[in-house]
Amino acid sequence: MLQKKICMLGGFAVGKTSLVRRFVQSIFSENYLTTVGVKIDKKSVVFPDKTVDLILWDLAGEDDIGSFRVSYVRGATGLVLVVDGTRPATLAVALTLRERCEAEFGAMPFILLFNKSDLTDRWAISEGEIDELKQRGWQIYLTSALSGEHVDDAFRQLASMVAN
Amino acid sequence: MVEIARNVDPDNRALYEGVPAADHRLEKLRQLLVGGEISELSRVTHLLDEPEQLATAVGNVLPEATARASHAQLGEALAPAVERAAQRSIQKNPNTLTDILYPVFLPAIRKSIGEKIDQTFQSLNESLRHIFTWHGLKWRFEAWRTGTSFSAVVLKHSLIYRVEHVFLISRASGLLIAHVTSQDATSEDPQLISSMLSAIQDFVKDSFKEKENSGLDTIRFGELRLWSEVGQFATLVAVIRGNPPEELHEVIRDVLLRIHQESSRALERFDGDSSQLPGVETQLQTCVELQHRDSKEGFPWLVLTAVLLVLIVAGGWSFLSWQSAHRWQTYLSRLAAQPGIVISDQKIRGGDFYVAGLRDPLAADPRSLLPGTEVDPTRVHSNWQLYQSLEPEFVLKRLSASLAPPDSVRLSVVDGRIVAEGEATTTWIERARAAAQQLSAGGPVFDISGVRDVSAEERWQAYVSQLETQPGIIVADHNVRDGQFYITGLRDPLAADPRSLLAGTQVDPARVHASWQFYQSLEPQFVLKRLTASLAPPDSVRLSVVNDRIVAAGEATTAWINRARAAAQQLSAGGPVFDISGVRDVSPEERWQAYVSRLEAQPGIVVAQQNVRDGQFYIAGLRDPLAVDPQSLLSGTQVDPARVHASWQLYQSLEPQFVLKRLAASLYPMDKVRLSIVEGRIVAEGEAPDTWIDRARVAARQLSEGGPEFDISKVRDVSPDARAAEHWQYYVSRLEAEPGIIVAQQSARGGDFYISGLRDPLAVDPKALLSGTQVDPARVHSQWQFYQSLDPKFVVKRLTASLSPPKSVLLSIVQGRIIVVGEAPAGWISRARAAADQLSADGVVLDVSQLSELNLAELNQLREAIQTTDIFFSSGRVVPGPEQTPVLDRLADQLKEFAENAHKAGVTARFMLTGHSDTTGRETANASISAARAETVRALLNKRGVAPELLQVRGAGTFEPAVPENENSRTGNSTNRRVSVTVNLE
Repeated sequence: MLQKKICMLGGFAVGKTSLVRRFVQSIFSENYLTTVGVKIDKKSVVFPDKTVDLILWDLAGEDDIGSFRVSYVRGATGLVLVVDGTRPATLAVALTLRERCEAEFGAMPFILLFNKSDLTDRWAISEGEIDELKQRGWQIYLTSALSGEHVDDAFRQLASMVAN
Repeated sequence: MVEIARNVDPDNRALYEGVPAADHRLEKLRQLLVGGEISELSRVTHLLDEPEQLATAVGNVLPEATARASHAQLGEALAPAVERAAQRSIQKNPNTLTDILYPVFLPAIRKSIGEKIDQTFQSLNESLRHIFTWHGLKWRFEAWRTGTSFSAVVLKHSLIYRVEHVFLISRASGLLIAHVTSQDATSEDPQLISSMLSAIQDFVKDSFKEKENSGLDTIRFGELRLWSEVGQFATLVAVIRGNPPEELHEVIRDVLLRIHQESSRALERFDGDSSQLPGVETQLQTCVELQHRDSKEGFPWLVLTAVLLVLIVAGGWSFLSWQSAHRWQTYLSRLAAQPGIVISDQKIRGGDFYVAGLRDPLAADPRSLLPGTEVDPTRVHSNWQLYQSLEPEFVLKRLSASLAPPDSVRLSVVDGRIVAEGEATTTWIERARAAAQQLSAGGPVFDISGVRDVSAEERWQAYVSQLETQPGIIVADHNVRDGQFYITGLRDPLAADPRSLLAGTQVDPARVHASWQFYQSLEPQFVLKRLTASLAPPDSVRLSVVNDRIVAAGEATTAWINRARAAAQQLSAGGPVFDISGVRDVSPEERWQAYVSRLEAQPGIVVAQQNVRDGQFYIAGLRDPLAVDPQSLLSGTQVDPARVHASWQLYQSLEPQFVLKRLAASLYPMDKVRLSIVEGRIVAEGEAPDTWIDRARVAARQLSEGGPEFDISKVRDVSPDARAAEHWQYYVSRLEAEPGIIVAQQSARGGDFYISGLRDPLAVDPKALLSGTQVDPARVHSQWQFYQSLDPKFVVKRLTASLSPPKSVLLSIVQGRIIVVGEAPAGWISRARAAADQLSADGVVLDVSQLSELNLAELNQLREAIQTTDIFFSSGRVVPGPEQTPVLDRLADQLKEFAENAHKAGVTARFMLTGHSDTTGRETANASISAARAETVRALLNKRGVAPELLQVRGAGTFEPAVPENENSRTGNSTNRRVSVTVNLE
């Protein structure tokens, strides 16, 4: 049994919860997010030689970085940063959240998801911007909770990053 | 040079032997070449030689050196010194170290004491609960047997629990290290549970700022308890069902400790790969096996059975012999308790029983006492000598047998004396006295003083005098001869039987010889009886005895009167007077006449003709259908209905009471009108509508020809009121049909109308409904309580008022359900959902499933523009320079536009102004400068027409710089001296 704690970070209403809803195993209701501030789901990624259980801590999204509970990130081995592709400001939020985590617990592998890729007409992030981020060697995926596009790929990528 | 050469190579030493060693030029040269090094060397030498200076120098590098030293070696090297130092410190002043360790030990000590107290309470509670029960007794025995305290035994039995799951959770990451579960326990995914458990621990710790280095101790949910023990690297959580003893904490803690001891390094480095910790599950398994059920398991049944078998065999024989001896003893004690039995000797030999003694013939038979004692009669050998017991009850028995006392004498034992009481004949008394004299020698006293001497003659005389007082019995002669009684006389057959009177007189009937002649007594009550039997008087005649005369009173036919008169004549010779003058002779004609006159007195019946012919009665006349039926009057008159021939013509009587009846029948709606006859006139009083009054007037006119007067002047015309009441009822029914109005009570009183009930504030105004109903509003007194109607229409109205839905949302009612369709911001949707939840409790369906989140794309652009705007400041300034004025103007316009657009979309926009500063200067000063900058911008925006309630401010100090500043780059970056704007939608 190989498990890894992964934290999902992102601004308010970027679609973290809907992103995981269809792709993970969950026993807790979404009420936990508003009560405890965190909801825990599990995503098993099967590789030929092993299975990695990603224990996903879905932290309540807040645009106010001040109220972010850093303590929940303790012990995490990876991050899933979620950005709403139709709201550029959420990219800054996600990056700020990552910085706060790294400042507290050191660098850790992460994937950056530009969510809501199905809303092409309202897409607000330019190709150039994404390319620039990719230049930094970041793992970036354009995902859609609606179509499920790239979601599995992203988790698989993260699993292979944290398992090694 | 020579000196150098000498030093460089020993061979040169010989070569330059002649050259002098101390050449001042050489010294000079040395000064020139290595003068700096020499002075530096002397400084270092001086430093090493001077302890003070050396200490300063080493002190400067010591921390760095320690940090760089190999940890293992340094630890070993320092350990003895540190130990000595600690020892010394404690010897010097223990308080210092206590103070240092206090925060470390205190939580542990506190927890330990807490658990101990819990344990004590638990054991006290359980002991109290079981102290007086049957279990309690059993457990006391067990405590005595096992040598433990009673409370420990109570706890052992009453704390029934089972450890169902054990989770070992990494403290660092909340990941599950291992999980074991008891055989039939189930749970959701343990990985998720363990993470959630640690999340909740974090949550509690964060929320309540708990610094203590421990986790949640206990979570309790009904039957389930979660006990957690926090270790250095891992937390152990046990899920326990039932009522566990506090000691279980220690057991769990031990397991956790053992796991830490064995796999400390693996735990510390745990990175989610549980295969690194293979042995842990076996350790945890010991926890899961912990349980206590209230069973008898573990008790040595086999041993017990074997011991029991031996005991049964051995005990069986001894029990049987003990039992037969016991039964024999029971029998003997029963014998000894018997009066008249004296046991002189008894023994058991070879299973047989021997007894010897004295017994009174009147005492109970010893054999008869055997049944019930279960002693085998064939094994009993007895040897009884008869004797006469002088115990009073035996003497009494013997006296009863020998004296044969008559029924009227009662013998009893009183205080050891035998007492005879009652009545007896002289002969019996004399015999008793003789017996008493015999007894006096050694026996109990026989007291016969209480027996009254009654001889048969006396009783006979009493009987005779009783007979003489009997009516209808005349004693002619009686005497006593040779103990026989003779009596002669007369007796009436209706008098009491002389024999039946003998009973109770103690006169022996066999000795009574009676000779009675029958005669007819002339005593009035006998005569009355005989007359009643012979004359059979009709029910209408009553016979009684008045002053020794027999008086008949009532009515009778001539025939009966004649028979009675004959009987009276017979009686006149010596008998009592029979007075029949009180019986009136009634003939059929007379009765007929009585009937006719009754008919004539009836209102509504007019008798025209009547006669009697050949014993038949004929009658003719008029009768009102409302008058009494002549036939029904016949009963009770003793006129034979078969002989009555009646011929009645129906007519309408004009007698007032008949007219009244007819009026009552024809003018029927008369709830409030009362008719009465006043001096031959029919008077109507009360209230009636005009229609009734009209009909009454017509009736009155018809009656006026020959009939009684019908006066309706006292009937009040209530038509206006009635019409008003009708209008009122119409109004009330309109109100009742109105949604959101509930009429509780309404009444009309004295021309005024009163109504009360509930109305929804959103319902139509009841007063507005009055128009068009012809009800005078001035006469309406209403009292309405407000309430909230659950009618969908009202719910929609209220929702519209309370939720203020944006224009893009439409509320409609479809088949009683409220359906919300359209787009709205997320905040509004969640409020609508909350409202739906609340309403569903009241049974109203609010369907919000067709709501979708509002598309805020248009706003987003503006929002982006606002959020990228910064107002910049000069260093140390909290007011922006004049070059910022156009930026502020544009920002104010954007904010206003955004707020307006957001409002149109049904959301409220709020703008957070965050002040920042560069890192120059002290942090506290920077924090206040940043806040002050935000405040200034708020004031400036406010001046430009942005509503102040939309603007919020905060100071971020140096924590959220636009450009990172650190020691390497230059501080005081002007880009960081700014106020930024964040847009939030509500």
